[in-house]
Amino acid sequence: MKKMLSVLLAALMMVSLLAVPALAEDQVLTVVTWDATTTPYLTAQKEAFEASHPGVKIEYIDVDAADWPTKAPSILAQPNDKSDVFMIKEIDQLINWQAQGYAAPLTDYIDGYDMSGFLGTEANYAVDGVQYAIPFRSDFWVLFYNKDLFDAAGVAYPTNDLTWDQYAELAKKLTDKDKGVYGTHYHTWLSTVVNWAVCGTDYTLADGKYDNLLYFYKLYQDLEDSGACMAYDELKASGLKYAAAFENGNVAMLPMGYWLVSTVIGDIKAGNASLNWGIAAVPHADGVAAGSSFGNLTGAMISAKSEQKDLAWEYISWLGGPEGAKATASVGARPAWVSAEVADVMASVDGFPADENSKGALLPASVAMEWPVADKVADIKTIVNDEHSLIMAREITPEEGIEEMNERVAELFN
Amino acid sequence: MSQAKVKKARYRMGRMERKNTLIAYSFLAPNFIGFAVFTLVPVICAIALSLFEWNGGDISKLRFVGLENYGTIFAVKKVAEKGLGYFFNRSDLGISLRNTVVYTAVTVPLTIVCALALAILLNKIRGAMAFRTIFFFPYVSSMVAICVCWSFMMMRDGPINQVIMFLGINFNKSWTADSTMAMWAIILVSVWRNMGYYMVLYLAALQGIPRELMEAATVDGANKWQQFRNVTLPQLKPTTFFVSVMMVISCFKIFDVVAIMTDGGPGRSTKMLVTYIYDEAFTKIRYGSASAIAMVLLVIVLGVTVIQFSSEKKFSND
Amino acid sequence: MESVVHTREIRKDNPVLRAVLRAVIWIMLIALAAVTLIPFAWMISSSLKLDREVFAFPMRWIPETFHWENYAQIWERVPLLTYFKNTAFIAVVVTILQTLTSSFAAYAFAKLNFRGRDFLFLCYIGTIAVPWQAYMLPQFIMMGYIGLYDTPWAMVALQAFSAFGVFLIRQFYRSIPTELCEAARLDGLSEYGIWARIMLPLSKAAIATLVIFTFVNTWNDFMGPMIYLTRDENKTIQVGLRRFIQQYSSDYHLIMAASLCSLLPVSVVFLFLQRYFIEGIATSGLKG
Repeated sequence: MKKMLSVLLAALMMVSLLAVPALAEDQVLTVVTWDATTTPYLTAQKEAFEASHPGVKIEYIDVDAADWPTKAPSILAQPNDKSDVFMIKEIDQLINWQAQGYAAPLTDYIDGYDMSGFLGTEANYAVDGVQYAIPFRSDFWVLFYNKDLFDAAGVAYPTNDLTWDQYAELAKKLTDKDKGVYGTHYHTWLSTVVNWAVCGTDYTLADGKYDNLLYFYKLYQDLEDSGACMAYDELKASGLKYAAAFENGNVAMLPMGYWLVSTVIGDIKAGNASLNWGIAAVPHADGVAAGSSFGNLTGAMISAKSEQKDLAWEYISWLGGPEGAKATASVGARPAWVSAEVADVMASVDGFPADENSKGALLPASVAMEWPVADKVADIKTIVNDEHSLIMAREITPEEGIEEMNERVAELFN
Repeated sequence: MSQAKVKKARYRMGRMERKNTLIAYSFLAPNFIGFAVFTLVPVICAIALSLFEWNGGDISKLRFVGLENYGTIFAVKKVAEKGLGYFFNRSDLGISLRNTVVYTAVTVPLTIVCALALAILLNKIRGAMAFRTIFFFPYVSSMVAICVCWSFMMMRDGPINQVIMFLGINFNKSWTADSTMAMWAIILVSVWRNMGYYMVLYLAALQGIPRELMEAATVDGANKWQQFRNVTLPQLKPTTFFVSVMMVISCFKIFDVVAIMTDGGPGRSTKMLVTYIYDEAFTKIRYGSASAIAMVLLVIVLGVTVIQFSSEKKFSND
Repeated sequence: MESVVHTREIRKDNPVLRAVLRAVIWIMLIALAAVTLIPFAWMISSSLKLDREVFAFPMRWIPETFHWENYAQIWERVPLLTYFKNTAFIAVVVTILQTLTSSFAAYAFAKLNFRGRDFLFLCYIGTIAVPWQAYMLPQFIMMGYIGLYDTPWAMVALQAFSAFGVFLIRQFYRSIPTELCEAARLDGLSEYGIWARIMLPLSKAAIATLVIFTFVNTWNDFMGPMIYLTRDENKTIQVGLRRFIQQYSSDYHLIMAASLCSLLPVSVVFLFLQRYFIEGIATSGLKG
């Protein structure tokens, strides 16, 4: 009898051991994204979503941003991959993934989903009229500046209406070699130097003609020669991060994507940096409206192999919609969903510069896409980047590089 | 012997043979299964895949295209139009082939000279084990750590440029950001890392040279240089041949140093064959053309190996 | 002729000249050793500095103050311990599997007669010459179907069954006289017994070479983990170190400290077992 009892007890314990975790287990949604540990809005989104959806947990699969172009397709290519949601870094990646059958069409879900707040940007994620992803962040570029350095040099802060020539002048004025102060800073990307050519015009970098870039290469090389910015080759070899460069406090201006706002706010809050800063609209070319900028869209799609597509839809629709937008904006990132309410949240973020000028910079006159959706855009990117790196390393002159770009891109198409 | 006995013996032999074969297979199986699944099948698939177009996605998207991928990577249409110069100066395959060949052509002799010099110096001193360990050490240290260390040292204000400036040469760029110096940076790191390994091979070969040969040369009145040229070098010929073949093969497979130090840049100036394969396969997701490039690599490496096998007799001592 | 012999004798008998020659060789060796070790010295020196001191001009080999806290910092910032554990796990499993299965298969190839032996061996030899980079893509696709992507087992599968190991051990087994096996067979030992009691103990040196080769190669492998491992908790020290470099790209001092840590385990293994390693290369002349 005793023996029976103990066996029964043991069996009961076994059952309860098996049953309890099964009951309490949360639904876990796997989201593949980049730099999750260092991107504040991802943390904010996760917290807000989990708070409003009890019983659901978000698990990020974190890929280094630099590895994203190779890692994300590798994960998608796994036949047994169980990830539910993939974030979209570049629009053309989604187009590829759709063609490869990795993206689940949102047709069944999209009926009745309000997309008015995306101001038409969601169309970038549609192929043949079928929506494949929802945008949740829409970044445009602004000019960050260090108020302390402007004050120290006795120079007025940049306004929201600045031409590129005025900007270059300003950068030289602020440079102080003795104190190691640079007037401005260019990160090593292509976009920091020449993407300005697409602002406020119909021109895109996939058009195959690159003569428009000459002005910006000349402008850059003039600044580098005069010591108003750190040399490209040094930055390339050291891999200095733009956030670190700005937060170190020896760079007066920095044209950069809006996403840096949340990083700077976060780092100042955490005590990793201390500086007085502001944002202004990026400079504009002559004949282009002030406040014209370029930018990029970030979104999320549901993996075709996901086994919980309904839940995944719940997540990405929330992420793009007004609630997710508030979470995104709460740490200083700019959501794709634009409304008065969200703009208020953006401006009232603790740590956002309080001046009117910075607030004014939140409303760009126009935002062109950094890269358009176009045929062979991945190959064009490679070519333009190749030649760009040679121009920047002073291996070839800008004129030579631009001619190479024109020729090589033309060769792609005939 | 009667018929029946022979039959019985044959039967027993057959059974034994079968039993032996079974035992042999049981020895082979653990390795062979892994080997077949993870090496043999992929090798065969690689050849086949180069004849297909597959840009990722489900396996049903596989489409047979024959030699089209080869046509694309060799830029056949353009070459027919603009001549061979187009292939080597503009096409990705041509440039990465050219870079790989340049890298190999400089690295192999440089490594051989360094390895041989070290081996000869070490051979003169009995019991200099510590030196052998030191020279060999870079070979076992991890690529990522030493590559990042070297690229820091080759930075604009790094110690190497400080020395160069001290010598009166005006060079103030980071090596990896300059298209000529980037190649040299990669070569330098490769030579530095591998010389110890080949030094060991040379050392063994040097110690294998019969003492009598040397003594005979000395008796004949040869001075040190003549002794080296007429006795040591010819005796080292098989080793040198073997070492060069191995090094050519491993040079054609270079990836790590490039991936960590330059990522193929600036521009395409350090883009190598394997860098190109990696890019096509994992970034551009063009499995077909990636496999076609892989076949180019395969043909080159196999070609070198065949040369080695066929001339082994010519160079062997006996 | 006579004069030549004469000078030779002078040279041979001249202790001063000989001593000078020896001194010159020693000085050259020391100089070359110093050049070889400079990157490591610089690594150590930089790892103990503040980041702004790393590229100070003129450079100081010995830091003004030693910042040992750099080493404490890196352990806080990256899961180095996880990376080490993963690498050690993969390296140990690969080494054990590789050695066991190779010596097993090598025995069949070297000492047993069976149908298809030469053909199978040809398959092995043939693939040694095929560079891994030529078939890494189909292998990658296949691993995906098996479901090994982003698991340490992908690395094990990748490295544990190399044809090279079989070839190395087989060459060694062939040098062991077949009569030994015959005698053992007559004594009633099974083939497994012969392998375990005779071949294994006799091939210690070759196995030691294979063990250390496999271990070092697996530990230092970069391209494999780069392709296959994604999640931080699965990464090996090489790709983990690369991630650290990407994340803290301008913290030169910390990167150097982390790099140095990544070198340590394999350096210790090498220093203790270098005899097998170096002599193994010298005798087999083969590269893993």
